[in-house]
Amino acid sequence: MTMHTMLTKTNNLGLYEIRMESIGGLGANLAGKMLAEAGVMHMGLNGSNFSSYGSEKKGSAVKAFVRFANPETKLRESAPVDEPHVVVVFHEAMLTTQNCVSGLHSDGILLVNTKKSPDEIKQLTGLQSGTIMCVDALGISLREKTRINTAMLGALCQAIDFLSVDAVKAVIQETFEVKYPKLVASNLRTFDAGYSEGLMTTYIDVENTVSVTTKQAGTLLGYLTQPIGGVIHNPGNSILKDLSGSRQGYLPHFNSETCIHCAACDMHCPDFCFVWEEGEDKRGRPQQFLSGIDYQYCKGCMKCVEVCPTGSLTSEQEVEGYAHEHAVKHHFALVNE
Amino acid sequence: MSADTSIKHVTETTDFRSGNEMAAKAAAQINYHLMGYFPITPSTEIAEYLDEMKANGEHDIVLVPADGEHGSAGICYGASTAGGRVFNATSANGFLYMLEQLPVQSGTRFPMVLNLVTRSVSGPLDIRGDHSDLYYGLNTGWPILLAKDPQAVYDMNLFALRVAEHHDVRLPVIVASDGFFTSHQKRKVKYFTDRKDVQAFVGEKQPVYVDSTDVKNPITIGPYMNDPDYINNKYQQSEAMYNAEEVFLTVAKEFEQLTGREYKLLDEYCMEDAEVALFLINSASGTARDVVDKLRNQGIKAGVVSPNMIRPFPKKAIQESLRKAKVVLVGERADSYGAHGGNISHEIKSALQDCHADTTVLTRIFGVGGKDFYASDAEEFFTLCLKKFNGEEVASFDYHGITPGKEENAPKRLLAPLTKEETTGFINVTQDEASGELKVKMSTMRALTKKAKRIAPGHGACPGCGIFSGLEMFFKGIEGDIVVLYHTGCAMVVTTGYPYSAHKVNFIHNLFQNGSATLSGVVEMFWERVRRGEVEVDENNLTFIMISGDGGMDIGMGPAIGTALRNHKLIILEYDNEGYMNTGSQMSYSTPLGHMTSTSNIGVESVGKAFHHKDTVQIMASTNIPYVFTGTEAFPQDLIKKAAKAQWYAQNVGTVYGKILISCPLNWKAADNQGKSIVEKAVNSCFFPLYEIEKGITKITHNPDEKNKRVPLTEWLEMMGKTKHLLRPESEGALKQFEEEVERRWNVLKAKHESPYL
Repeated sequence: MTMHTMLTKTNNLGLYEIRMESIGGLGANLAGKMLAEAGVMHMGLNGSNFSSYGSEKKGSAVKAFVRFANPETKLRESAPVDEPHVVVVFHEAMLTTQNCVSGLHSDGILLVNTKKSPDEIKQLTGLQSGTIMCVDALGISLREKTRINTAMLGALCQAIDFLSVDAVKAVIQETFEVKYPKLVASNLRTFDAGYSEGLMTTYIDVENTVSVTTKQAGTLLGYLTQPIGGVIHNPGNSILKDLSGSRQGYLPHFNSETCIHCAACDMHCPDFCFVWEEGEDKRGRPQQFLSGIDYQYCKGCMKCVEVCPTGSLTSEQEVEGYAHEHAVKHHFALVNE
Repeated sequence: MSADTSIKHVTETTDFRSGNEMAAKAAAQINYHLMGYFPITPSTEIAEYLDEMKANGEHDIVLVPADGEHGSAGICYGASTAGGRVFNATSANGFLYMLEQLPVQSGTRFPMVLNLVTRSVSGPLDIRGDHSDLYYGLNTGWPILLAKDPQAVYDMNLFALRVAEHHDVRLPVIVASDGFFTSHQKRKVKYFTDRKDVQAFVGEKQPVYVDSTDVKNPITIGPYMNDPDYINNKYQQSEAMYNAEEVFLTVAKEFEQLTGREYKLLDEYCMEDAEVALFLINSASGTARDVVDKLRNQGIKAGVVSPNMIRPFPKKAIQESLRKAKVVLVGERADSYGAHGGNISHEIKSALQDCHADTTVLTRIFGVGGKDFYASDAEEFFTLCLKKFNGEEVASFDYHGITPGKEENAPKRLLAPLTKEETTGFINVTQDEASGELKVKMSTMRALTKKAKRIAPGHGACPGCGIFSGLEMFFKGIEGDIVVLYHTGCAMVVTTGYPYSAHKVNFIHNLFQNGSATLSGVVEMFWERVRRGEVEVDENNLTFIMISGDGGMDIGMGPAIGTALRNHKLIILEYDNEGYMNTGSQMSYSTPLGHMTSTSNIGVESVGKAFHHKDTVQIMASTNIPYVFTGTEAFPQDLIKKAAKAQWYAQNVGTVYGKILISCPLNWKAADNQGKSIVEKAVNSCFFPLYEIEKGITKITHNPDEKNKRVPLTEWLEMMGKTKHLLRPESEGALKQFEEEVERRWNVLKAKHESPYL
């Protein structure tokens, strides 16, 4: 199956550019690969695809890039996509932790995995114009026991006019049937649901004069401020990081009523989320008491739930605002205290 | 995939592939005899793809997983003397680690092909793409072909073998492509549909010149050769190197007739009348071409040159190409520190001086450490050229893309250093004067929550990672201050992503072949400064600990043994997750038999790792250090007690080695929440017995047989996706072999437990 698709909207190099913003483990890398393959191998386009790379970890920010061009257009650019036509956000939390829409064309498309509406996302991102599409890809994937990436591809096919549903579905089929034939049907259903369940709104900003949204700022330190040799003089500053974006829909709840303070959770937690206070036991002797969970660092692995002997920790679907309301913060000994 | 029959003599398939995929494709089609390799980002995928293809029966290359790049280079060198075709791939410090072997191979004239997937050289550790490794290769005596995109990676791999084996050359050849920009970027490509066409192009059999295994023709390879003979060997080598240029051109011409793809020594773009030009190696040149098109539309006579070969240096072609230009900017993705320009700038200047060209050459160091090169960067380069062209003052050498940083963002200390009260008073170790036995008194787990953790939250490990629960549980048993050295690996990478560090205590990283030696130096310097009265810390409160993964105990085995034999007062703690997980789950020697990794795939031709797991504990015990132990987070009291003893021995006697088995949900393909249960089953199935060897006497600290906790090995294996295949009927043989080995080692251990003399 080879079609002859022609791109109408491209940048000055003749490229149509897509950037996927995701957390490792959600399948953005594979989504980018499948999308690009659909374009190049099935739709007759020229194209390229790659991802931003760190070490091989789940739970940290990753970007996947897809470029399309008409078949006769030379594709020589190898740098990341800086001014995308389309931004795909796989995890809603990323909209607040980083500038996902950096460089997005003012008439571009923003696709977000969220339960929110396009109006709410517009407000959250401060986008002035363009098309916003929202799809509850997580809900679909929980229903189908798949990853969200095929749902996002479905929604993307709805949002981008030149994409061929048949081509993308053919690639999904080819990708899964070799190693995981049992997953073909569920992923095709996930795709279809993503295609039909998205909510899309286009905004026009008559005042707008900028062609792209503000771009991400560069690095924090420079050659005048970076200590020589790469030495970090303020170690332990990882406490400033917020890892809640690593959670994939679930988090542990803590019931202090039934807790026996055995410390099993603390011993097995890889992310040091449990907060203890010193108090007195019944005889008035000093004793440690578990006061709660600092959700800023919780990646939702649920090891604590697994090792808790009393059921005081339970795995629950994450509701917006819960972690913020119920977090018990660590008391770090800071230098200026 | 669609077959394209329109081109001249060979049928090609169009596909969508990355540089690494194309290197592997070429190697598989050539069907090399052997590849000796060691994983390093970003070249690792080449071995992974080849392993996967081999598992599916697509080629016959013998894949030898080495114990490090020095080992891989040795394996390749040996193999190349033994009459067959040899292939390898590496990057960055892996290349530097094998560097010593490279002149040996070129000086003794044994052909092979090495793919150098270029990456920044450490330190600080940077895994992304630049040319600092390539520049170390310039003087090794290997011809170097450059591949600027995935198509060129394939094509150059076919040329490389022809050049290497040609009787006028007979040298090992490097094919260099850009890490990530090319290695991991998929593009539309073509390759020979039928591998017979590949074999016809490279020649079905290599012309054997000497063969170290041909006993009918005894030969001496690698003699002791001083002056006056050595210089004549080098002259031969120099001549052979220059011959590579002509051979390359002949081979490329032949290839063009087959495929229509043309390769000269230089790729020149709009250079016929260019007044200003950029000279760029590999992928950056593509971006620059886009900019040339734009500038040409504005009437600016701009051009780009990118070489297809850098050794031998295509001097004549460069003279012809650049002498007409007025200003040439050489963008270099690596510096030659202190030389007022990178290596390539100076070679170009030298070439132009020889032909009396009045071209001005500017140098800009850019894109170092993988910093992206955008069209705007190329435009800035041309702007500099135009300024110079118009008579303005422009620095001849500078860095491009640096930032000064703002004073208000300069790092300020955040956490107060740990106090003695936070880390001491929880564990007490005393030695019984009569028996010499250590007695450990420790607080309850609940009380131990008061003890400060040495690692701060906020590290970037995967959800459910077993490393940090394992390490902190071990640290619970360590009182007072610690200085830690981490080998390269997951624990190091996820805790030190600049400008953040999750280590509250003093931390050093060194590359994972050398941490034990490095910490030996730290310890000895500390004690010498104590002796000289220069140290102001409580030396009796300080413990030195090296943290390594199982990978670091493969490549770093030699220095670890050396450290143990010297008996420095330090602890070597290995977290074993049964593979090189930081680089994407390649097999380590600690990977058990039959387990699936990205270099021990499952397929018609293979059932996972081909040989048994390394018994690092017994290897280290044989150095006769005072204390050796195993532990897991599933047995907290056991592990913490061993940590306390380890500290006592490391402070009072000498080197301690311990191995903790930790879970890797990502690459064990297991649920994030199952880490503790899986390592518990590993212990209770006797795959990973808990024991200690104290002053040579072995003691099992948890005997599943006696405690009625023993489970069959299969109960452990069924918990992980990487081992589920072992439960299928077709894996019966491998499973049986594995069970027998586990049982044999368990029985040996029990015998040692019974006898103080074993």
